[in-house]
Amino acid sequence: MLRDILLIYGMLAVYYVMTVNLIYFSILACSFRSIMTVFRRAAFSKYNTLSGSELVPSVSLLVPAYNEEVTIIENVKCLLTLNYPTYEVIVINDGSPDNTLGVLCKEFELEPMESPGLRNAIDCEQVKAVYHNPKYPHLYVIDKPNGGKADSLNAGINLSHYPLISSIDADSLLEKDALIRMARMYMENPEETVAIGGDVRIANGCVIENGQVKSFSLPRKMWPMFQAVEYLKAFLGGRIGWSSINGLIIVSGAFGMFRKDYVIAVGGYRGGYPGEDMNIIIKLHRYMLENKLPYKVAFCPEAVCWTQAPDTYHILSNQRKRWGRGNLKNMLENYDMAFNPKYKVMGLLTMPYNIIFEALNPYFKLTGLIALIGYAMLDMTHWKILAVFWAVNFVSGYLFSIGAFVLEELAFKRFNRLADLCKMLGFAALKFFGYSQLGALWRVQGHIQYLRNNNSWGAMTRQSWKEESKPAKQA
Amino acid sequence: MPHTITAAEEHEDHLHHAEDKLRKSPGARFGLMYIYAANAPSYLESQIVSLLETKGDADFEVWRDSETGCLAVMLPGLALDQVHFRGLLLKQQLQERISDLHPHITLASFPEQGEPDEEVFRQMANLSRTSLSEDIHIFTKVETEHSAPGRILVVDNDAGMREFLQIRLRMHGYETREAEDGLAALELIETWQPDLVLTELNLYGIDGLPYIHQIRQLKVKEPPKIVVLTEQRVEQTISRCFEYGVNDYMTKPFSPVELDARIRRCFY
Repeated sequence: MLRDILLIYGMLAVYYVMTVNLIYFSILACSFRSIMTVFRRAAFSKYNTLSGSELVPSVSLLVPAYNEEVTIIENVKCLLTLNYPTYEVIVINDGSPDNTLGVLCKEFELEPMESPGLRNAIDCEQVKAVYHNPKYPHLYVIDKPNGGKADSLNAGINLSHYPLISSIDADSLLEKDALIRMARMYMENPEETVAIGGDVRIANGCVIENGQVKSFSLPRKMWPMFQAVEYLKAFLGGRIGWSSINGLIIVSGAFGMFRKDYVIAVGGYRGGYPGEDMNIIIKLHRYMLENKLPYKVAFCPEAVCWTQAPDTYHILSNQRKRWGRGNLKNMLENYDMAFNPKYKVMGLLTMPYNIIFEALNPYFKLTGLIALIGYAMLDMTHWKILAVFWAVNFVSGYLFSIGAFVLEELAFKRFNRLADLCKMLGFAALKFFGYSQLGALWRVQGHIQYLRNNNSWGAMTRQSWKEESKPAKQA
Repeated sequence: MPHTITAAEEHEDHLHHAEDKLRKSPGARFGLMYIYAANAPSYLESQIVSLLETKGDADFEVWRDSETGCLAVMLPGLALDQVHFRGLLLKQQLQERISDLHPHITLASFPEQGEPDEEVFRQMANLSRTSLSEDIHIFTKVETEHSAPGRILVVDNDAGMREFLQIRLRMHGYETREAEDGLAALELIETWQPDLVLTELNLYGIDGLPYIHQIRQLKVKEPPKIVVLTEQRVEQTISRCFEYGVNDYMTKPFSPVELDARIRRCFY
């Protein structure tokens, strides 16, 4: 009996692994198919001319800030110097107990506005005041009671004056051309593009001066290095491919651009849980498909945002648990989309993939391990078979990493030192011994947090906000 | 007395000649002529020397200005009307001897027309070279004051653009410095005190409009003129810039000739 169960499980596991690898490599193939287009449009577009043109749509940058008094001034100054014709920067102070608002007002000599002209397009916490200084015509600061990141973004949308919005984390750094590159992509198809995601890269180890990444090099510490490999795989290997079949499920909260009218149509950002960046994209997919509107959620790998990755185990594990929690919540909320042909690629591929191969992945790993012990105890297997199985798994995963590096080298050529490339390849291999397993563990812990804290979300969210702001301070 | 300079001496800066002379007898009157011809034959210099010798000038001196390719003639003791007459005569005789010669002449007499200094000499040489009319140009004192070339600070993100602008402006005799970003520019304006700032709006470090505003607020003796040269073509930004008091606004891609003209106008 036990043998039968184990046998069936073994077969299932083999098919599971085969399917997941098949999906990985199909997506990677899609990425490869579109990478030369990415390269050409990055190399041959005249961004300089575009960045002064009156025809480029205006954008409101929304920057939620919670306890950012140390870094906010520099970040805002950097955001105010983007190469872009018309845009505004809206900083939303989410009831920070520190002096975030104070330092902003002092540096930019901001005064409360008499009539800020807030619309009530989306519900959010009552805004206390909007600060502005005519000397800095493109800067607004909203002060409101604490309500979480999503609530801050909603408040920002209510104030924003322009048709496009872009959400940016207060602890990340935009390249000067990042916004115009995204806008160029939007202008290719302004009717159908509802959201565009940017490429997020790890800034640890880079030299940053005056809001500019002066020289690029890899992180020196172990944790950011693993994340650098991970981000490269996810963004270049994964998201380019997913966006080419219009199945992108997430636009990074660190840097994304949206059409404001549709964000308002789906009710804005959802508060209360982490993972609001994935949530808004799922809602957009759902809304557009249910209303049978043609649409596209695009990914713009040439628009780069640099972020400081957590460099200690504690902060990293907290971040990943939070992601696991948010991810599970989003999947539970939208499970009905899975396997529903009405939702096209989203329903037939993206959602099933994310539920079975992302959210449930750690459980397969865990049961696999238990089954392995079972096989060994019942003498059903041979170490050679296990070795082959493991080797196949390792090689396919490693090939995927290499694929991502090749994509990077084809389009962007950022690694111009052999040592950097070797380091990347080394860490891509090391990832399989420990880091991947930790990732599964964090996800399970996130799920447990979700189940435990089902009724105390408010407190959780505030706490997670604090966690998020920690790396910014250390940066 | 040698009337021409030997080849070895030609390497020396022409200005030293005039200035050496001035130092020996400060305040002494002398006339100065700069002659430029686009297709000048190599024997032009010897022609001029022989013509002047036949006129019986005692103490003249001729040398070649290596920077502009002009020939300079120094005539001690002559007042402006005398220099002018000598110039007319010289031009006529040269054209008789060398067919198809179109000399452009700028002349002056000092100290009647102001304090002679290095900058004035360079200006005169440049005027001869760039002048479009074949009439003899009298370098006047008023001109000396106004066309004294200014200091221009070039601010742009792009190193290639900065280099191009600097080379071009220096050709026109302006003194230039460069800054890569807004903060460095603000610092330089305070310490170096340029007469004009030629700047891009999209800079690292500081947002374009506050940056312009800040230049206006700087505590310098004479606030610099501002010419914006930028990719930014949004009407609202342009009008804001003029509200903040910029003197001119040009968008890239730009015509260098137009830029020259607009900058020149700022100095008049």
